[in-house]
Amino acid sequence: MNEITSALLLLTPLLPVVLAFPPLRSRISHPCYIALLPAIVLLLVPSVVPIELPWLLLGSGLGVDGASRWLLAMSVVIWTAAATLLPKPGNHAADNRFTVFFLLTMAGNLGAIVATDMVGFFSFSALMGYGFYGLLVSGGDKTARRAGRIYISFMIAADLLLFEVLLIAASTTSEMAFESVRLAVSGSASPGLYVSLVLAGFALKAGVWPFHSWLPLAFRSARPAVALLVGGVPIAMGLLGMVRWLPLGEITLPGMGLIIRILGAAAIIYAIVAGVKRSQLKLLPAYTAMIATGFFSIALGAGLADPAVWNQYGNIPYFFIVSLGFGMVIVVAAICWLQTDHHAPAAIVKQEDDPSLWIERCAGAVVRWGGKLGCETLPRLRSAWLAKAGSLLQVCAWRKAVDAAEYSLQRWILAITLFLLLGLVTVFLAAM
Amino acid sequence: MNWDAGLPLLIVATSLFSGLMIFFLSEKHVVARTTLNLGGAVFKLVLVGVMIWGVFHGHHYEARLPLLPGLDLLLRADAESMLFVVLSSGLWLVTTIYAIGYLEGSPHRSRFFGFFSLCVTATVGVALAGNLITFVLFYELLTLSTYPLIVHRETEVARRAGRTYLIYTITGGALLLVGTVWLYSMTGTLEFAHRGFVAGLLDTHRVSLIVVFVLLVAGLGVKAALVPLHGWLPQAMVAPAPVSALLHAVAVVKAGAFGIVRVVDDVYGVEATTKLGVSGPLAALAAVTIIYGSLRALFQDDLKRRLAFSTVSQVSYIVLGIAIIGPIATTGGLVHLVHQGVMKITLFFCAGNLAETLGIHKVSEMNGVGRRMPWTMAAFTIGALGMIGVPPLAGFVTKWYLGVGALDAGQEWVVYILAGSSLLNAGYFLPVLYAVWFKPAPDSWPDERSFGRFETSWALLAPPVVTALLTLAVGLLASAPFSPLQWARFITTLEYMP
Repeated sequence: MNEITSALLLLTPLLPVVLAFPPLRSRISHPCYIALLPAIVLLLVPSVVPIELPWLLLGSGLGVDGASRWLLAMSVVIWTAAATLLPKPGNHAADNRFTVFFLLTMAGNLGAIVATDMVGFFSFSALMGYGFYGLLVSGGDKTARRAGRIYISFMIAADLLLFEVLLIAASTTSEMAFESVRLAVSGSASPGLYVSLVLAGFALKAGVWPFHSWLPLAFRSARPAVALLVGGVPIAMGLLGMVRWLPLGEITLPGMGLIIRILGAAAIIYAIVAGVKRSQLKLLPAYTAMIATGFFSIALGAGLADPAVWNQYGNIPYFFIVSLGFGMVIVVAAICWLQTDHHAPAAIVKQEDDPSLWIERCAGAVVRWGGKLGCETLPRLRSAWLAKAGSLLQVCAWRKAVDAAEYSLQRWILAITLFLLLGLVTVFLAAM
Repeated sequence: MNWDAGLPLLIVATSLFSGLMIFFLSEKHVVARTTLNLGGAVFKLVLVGVMIWGVFHGHHYEARLPLLPGLDLLLRADAESMLFVVLSSGLWLVTTIYAIGYLEGSPHRSRFFGFFSLCVTATVGVALAGNLITFVLFYELLTLSTYPLIVHRETEVARRAGRTYLIYTITGGALLLVGTVWLYSMTGTLEFAHRGFVAGLLDTHRVSLIVVFVLLVAGLGVKAALVPLHGWLPQAMVAPAPVSALLHAVAVVKAGAFGIVRVVDDVYGVEATTKLGVSGPLAALAAVTIIYGSLRALFQDDLKRRLAFSTVSQVSYIVLGIAIIGPIATTGGLVHLVHQGVMKITLFFCAGNLAETLGIHKVSEMNGVGRRMPWTMAAFTIGALGMIGVPPLAGFVTKWYLGVGALDAGQEWVVYILAGSSLLNAGYFLPVLYAVWFKPAPDSWPDERSFGRFETSWALLAPPVVTALLTLAVGLLASAPFSPLQWARFITTLEYMP
């Protein structure tokens, strides 16, 4: 029995990757459903013994505990629902590419759920992130590409932060299993940096306010199958990462807990105000997700401030993530149904006030204010400053200068080398 | 001569023999040339397999031939040399297959493959060198055998690149030779030893040892493309793609980086390097090179030139790992010798495929090419993501060990260099991947050739696919027995064990 469950654990992330291989996928009907089979069978096994894979990456493990069983069930439902919205298999290159990204994202998502160590989780979530970027931009319009650009930028920043987290963890313990790292970090001298980086990294990945700007764009422009996945894949996995990586229940950080709670409350207020002010039916899931992640942040802050609270209600965040995933699927499906059958009330669609463009508007305002300030108060200084800054910021000029320097170096390398050699000999003789 | 002495000589001689034989073949003897090329490469790989098994089980392979009074031509197999021998022999086989497909129908193939084999002979000699003088001899042979490959196309640009290459490498070779002679005059020996052979001179010849260290590193730094000695590398990208692969992944830059590893580990030893205070400046130079190379790559539209600057940056990870001075970082540096090789060779093979099949040379011409050449671009994607350090690919394992090693050695600043470099790598590779997979393809390609139902010829397609799979395998199975990582850890254990 153990051998069978071990094989199922391995196949859960592996089968979607194998089926993403184009020659194989084209020979099998319904590859997206078949890819979910190991996970479905795994859910039916009452007790799964975790496996250690010392040969994998830097030594990894896979397993299913009570919490991850619920998450796996949620993912299976979401992926099945999304698979029903996929285009029929054909010869259209864009659709085939979309299916490849769909399967790779699925592999990363399922792998992250069954991973029992931080490096495994990080690797699977990277696969999921790059795959999801492909889903966002594949065959999408300008807005979808913009959503993808913001998402990938945040994801790269998040991966860099989480890589630092992994290095900090590795310097405190040689075991990278979640439990070992939690214990080691909570006993370390300064866990504040670790906790801050984990929070920032996964907030970027999950689109938690104020890193949410790709969410409304994604919901507005993505295909229905992708919109269905947003709640259960990037957002849920980001929140899961926080729960799994943070030493919650073992560490007391009241100051940080307070900041997280304030940010959570701010996220809720922002989402409500922005959602009411610039309502658009397709954006409703985005604001719902922001409110949900705001509540999650408040819970997380409470857990950081008082470990006893977390230990008492420690399982609730997992159910919250599962509920969020299911809830988002229902909301997106309902909106798809409303729009397909033209049930959407026209009055709430208000395109011109696009809340997702606030970054551009802020940047534009800063430029305008800067311009006015320069023109009206110190015109000469402004023009001189602008001219100097312009010449400094001309990348082409810099590149030409560096190219010229390299060219000179190439011409004079022999002479420079002899000169340096002479210098070294002089230093040597002087030292003698 | 017994088997233990004969095996290192035989490994060097296989490619020397096939190279010399190929010189005497005329252009039309395609079958004979291909047989010699592939036969030599496969035979060498089998011999290397036998040797690596022996070294792992503690067997001692050494060939010693008298060279000068007091100096021998010494070939010796140790754990460190095997890492480089396996890399060069393995990738030589793949590159030979690629070169056969790439140069099909082009002139001067016998000359090309002759020098190609000599180049690998020199690389294996560099790897197996048991003392500094043997190292220098093969290092110079590498310079001389690579020059005809760079100017192979005989264009004015190629000749200019060749001249620059010669000026740089011969100057570097001269510095290396001066340093070697100076060192011999002080120590009376040049034989590599675990923990070096200069420790006894630290008190009496401190300044001389520092100057010699600078000379040796400057000489080797030319081939390792350390800034500001890197100028030849971006120019040399005018060479045919198999030569670029050889320069960037198998032989030349690796010989320089491997030489620096030898100087730090087996000439000076880590303790003496630390005590002389030269490891810090070396690490700083490597860090500058990493960032500078990435910044320059960011602005290149020529694909091979972008890859060349990427090499400048990536090879310095090896030097950085060694210069941090610590077992974990050294493991990271050593394993990158292999990891950078498989990733970069994949990228250059793909660049060659684009040029040969569609006439694409620039990044701005690559829009939508993923639909026309999906296998090639899938391999390119794996190579590029590996370079960025995306898990579970090879580059991630390197960056992991360098980062953990830096923290272990108390050098936190290295972590910021790694983060900055990863960000820049993403900056110059991800827009390419976006253009390849998501931008619409143009109506026609610059210079398209048809290969029937395949996207390109099998000889051009198989090598990048194989090396891309290797990129995935060496990362994913990093902790498996006999993986490059495990071998690098084996070397480090020998170097640092009490």
